[in-house]
Amino acid sequence: MDAYLRELTERALDVARSAGATYADARYLAEEWESVDVQDDRVQGVDRGVSAGIGIRVIADGAWGFAGTARLEPNEVEAAARLAVEIARSSVPLLKSPVRLAVEEPREATWSSPVVEDPFAVPLDEKITLLLNASGAMREVKGLSIAEASMDFWRRTSFLATSEGSRIEQVVTQSGAGIRALAINDTEVQMRSYPISFRGHYACRGFEHVRAMDLAANAERVANEVVELIKAPECPSKETTLILDAPQLALQVHESIGHPIELDRVLGMEAAYAGTSFLTPPDRGKLRYGSDQITITADATIEGALGSFGYDDEGVEAQRETVIENGIFSKFISSRETATEIGESRSNGTMRASGWDVIPLIRMTNINLEPGTSSLEEMIATTDDGVFMSTNQSWSIDDKRVNFQFGCEIAWEIKDGKLGRMLRNPNYNGKTVEFWSSCDAVAGPDEWGVWGTPNCGKGQPGQTARVAHGTAPARFRNVHVGVRG
Amino acid sequence: MSRALGGDRLREIVAPALALQADGVLALAFHSWGGLTRFASSQIHQNTWREDVEVRVMAVADGNRVGVASTHSVDAAAVRKAAEDALAIARVSPPNPEFPGLAPPADAASKQGFDAATAEASPGERADVVRKALAELSSDMTGAGYAETVADEVLVANTLGVSLFGSTSRAAMSVMAMTDDSSGVAELIEPSLSRLEPATIAGRAAMKADLGRHPQPIGPGRYTVVLEPAASSTLMQFLAWLGFGAKAYLEGRSFLSGKLGQKLCSDLVTIVDDPLAPEALGLPFDFEGTPANVVTIFDKGVARNVVWDRTTGKKDGHSSTGHGLPPPNADGPFPLNLRMEPGTTSLEKMIESTERGLLVTRFHYSNIVNEKETVLTGMTRDGTFLIEDGELRHGVNNLRYTQNALEALSRVQAVGNVTEISSELFFGGSRAPALKIEDFNFSSATTH
Repeated sequence: MDAYLRELTERALDVARSAGATYADARYLAEEWESVDVQDDRVQGVDRGVSAGIGIRVIADGAWGFAGTARLEPNEVEAAARLAVEIARSSVPLLKSPVRLAVEEPREATWSSPVVEDPFAVPLDEKITLLLNASGAMREVKGLSIAEASMDFWRRTSFLATSEGSRIEQVVTQSGAGIRALAINDTEVQMRSYPISFRGHYACRGFEHVRAMDLAANAERVANEVVELIKAPECPSKETTLILDAPQLALQVHESIGHPIELDRVLGMEAAYAGTSFLTPPDRGKLRYGSDQITITADATIEGALGSFGYDDEGVEAQRETVIENGIFSKFISSRETATEIGESRSNGTMRASGWDVIPLIRMTNINLEPGTSSLEEMIATTDDGVFMSTNQSWSIDDKRVNFQFGCEIAWEIKDGKLGRMLRNPNYNGKTVEFWSSCDAVAGPDEWGVWGTPNCGKGQPGQTARVAHGTAPARFRNVHVGVRG
Repeated sequence: MSRALGGDRLREIVAPALALQADGVLALAFHSWGGLTRFASSQIHQNTWREDVEVRVMAVADGNRVGVASTHSVDAAAVRKAAEDALAIARVSPPNPEFPGLAPPADAASKQGFDAATAEASPGERADVVRKALAELSSDMTGAGYAETVADEVLVANTLGVSLFGSTSRAAMSVMAMTDDSSGVAELIEPSLSRLEPATIAGRAAMKADLGRHPQPIGPGRYTVVLEPAASSTLMQFLAWLGFGAKAYLEGRSFLSGKLGQKLCSDLVTIVDDPLAPEALGLPFDFEGTPANVVTIFDKGVARNVVWDRTTGKKDGHSSTGHGLPPPNADGPFPLNLRMEPGTTSLEKMIESTERGLLVTRFHYSNIVNEKETVLTGMTRDGTFLIEDGELRHGVNNLRYTQNALEALSRVQAVGNVTEISSELFFGGSRAPALKIEDFNFSSATTH
């Protein structure tokens, strides 16, 4: 860490305290990024940049205030620190009770995510060639309309200083890539993605993560599937047995478990924008969230997973918590402020900010459906009539996270224990507790993987968090599939 | 003290980028600052301010190799490095035969959308707005929402002589009033803080929450709906995302591909993108340096145009309409200042003329089911009411719609005589009136 920036960050703390803050944290963050987009035989864009700034969060007279600036000159940072205190004081006339923080021991620490091959050191022409090769392999398939390939890299270098004495430096490197094949006719647009949709699969790893995907080797299969898909019959509308692949389960966990367990939503802090939750604090230890098959963990310590880190943006170390155990709900994910509001002694360390210019919020880490004992093969073999859906295409859920509807890229019908015809436009609808209670099988550890979701939106101003979900294929009974407009 | 930097200072900041030895350079400078005061459970719980600067440089090598790099520093060395990075990227990028070249100099319409008092509003002023709003709620209600004051300065300059500067300000407030079993919401977005009326906004939200107490379950099915402006905006914004841009149009992905000139909506529906309207929050030029044009997308139900940037324009022999986004841009041009034109019917008359139907305040978490057919799904929230015999009877539990948006716009029976700017979860703001639509499909219901 640059000594000047460290001193500047600590200076912000001193100014905030002199101005009357009873608690302050100052967070320097520099995020470098690079993204490359290819469509067909052309580079659509290469973007490289860096954003650096300091955000100062304070408690003064019992209220929160925050100011962030990209202008890293001493007078600007000092002005931002004073403004944060002024902002906090402006809240006081409307304050019902002063903010209380769960106790956290101050610590001095450094942490870095694992990187074998620095993605920013890999020559750009090599990255472009890798993507053009994958796109070219898709374009070999007759009937394909558009081939897309992309990759993204981020490196976040941060220094958190708190008035309680914590000094934490972290470097988190994240990499991801993916391909997508599109087939278009007069009435339909169909797509198939690899490894998963929405720009691919992401992890807290280096360029080795991209190489391991072998995009080009999967390109022809993906293109062939989409050409077949656009001619496939539409998914029928009926109530049936539904088997989801692991990446779709990742988004199902995200929307109908990950968000409802965020304690700020439960306490109404996001009510006006993203919504609240059907969960309440008394549900802990009592509410049956799903069947015995469902055990969910929040685990920020999985090496290389996109939602992993050493310490959150309040200086709380990464933790692993069991959120739902054999179907019974037990834990929210929390912050130092919200933990105290429900009588918890400690935050479980999930406060993260997307940039230096915004406050940390409770964000998912790696929220995982723990593996079961079945297998995809066994689930299909023991299903008389059903549908197997793969790869998320769309999602929607109500403001309490109850009624959801998901669309997938592709499906296959299941008849008498065997996969049958390919089906286009598959989707399904349900209610959260009812759906998870209908789960009668989850595949085992061999089919379990962690899928990075780099686009989780929350808060105002809007923040995008990079989170992940460990999942394996699972089976659900009596689900409404094929919702039509 | 004013935080504004002004056009001359932004020109100084990008000067090192424009001095780069390249075949061409486009430099954009963004300066934004402002405060956002969020409240929940009737108290301010998140109170923030931020100031950011960004310089984004596109460099051209060998005529049609392009690279982009950016920095959030105004330091000359950082800007120079961003420009050099952009050129280094351009040199290793393959030639792009579709690159249209830089925009030539042109005059953009002048537009006054910056209010200094809003740009410099204090935390105390925002807190005061919140206090006035919360005072309108009855004692058994709680309030949540935000009050925001922000300002933006934008410079678009290139080595052909384009040098366009614009500045805007925005004041916005949303109030959600909640009782034990109901909620109501109202929002207002204006160029200046002085035009926000917190008591009026909160009063509307409270009235809905009050009217929605003790909601009753209602089954899914097809209903005549009266969509308030925020709900109308959602349909329009998703249609824009799916097909108002020339890239999707040329690729055949847009529902408008091959259908310009055809009547696709009710003749009551006219949609324009109008960055030049005095009440629009946008700039009179785009991020490629092309002056913005008013584009009519639907004229009395007939699909007329999509919006173009320089790349799509070159591909199809069409002029840019001034809808280019900052480079690099894989998504193509986009309309940022949409307006559905008002009709002649008041919201009250729409309700009075409905025998049985639903009044929808807003949609939540909408998403695409089928992009070419324009089928969307999403939830209602914060004020959904049963209409019977021309009167609002009671609140109902929220419903999920799964509906072809274009078909819905072909079944419009009445258009509201007032438009409002609304924000949408996944997009910015757009201006729309209320709509009365028959046979709107709700596919399932939820528990609240």
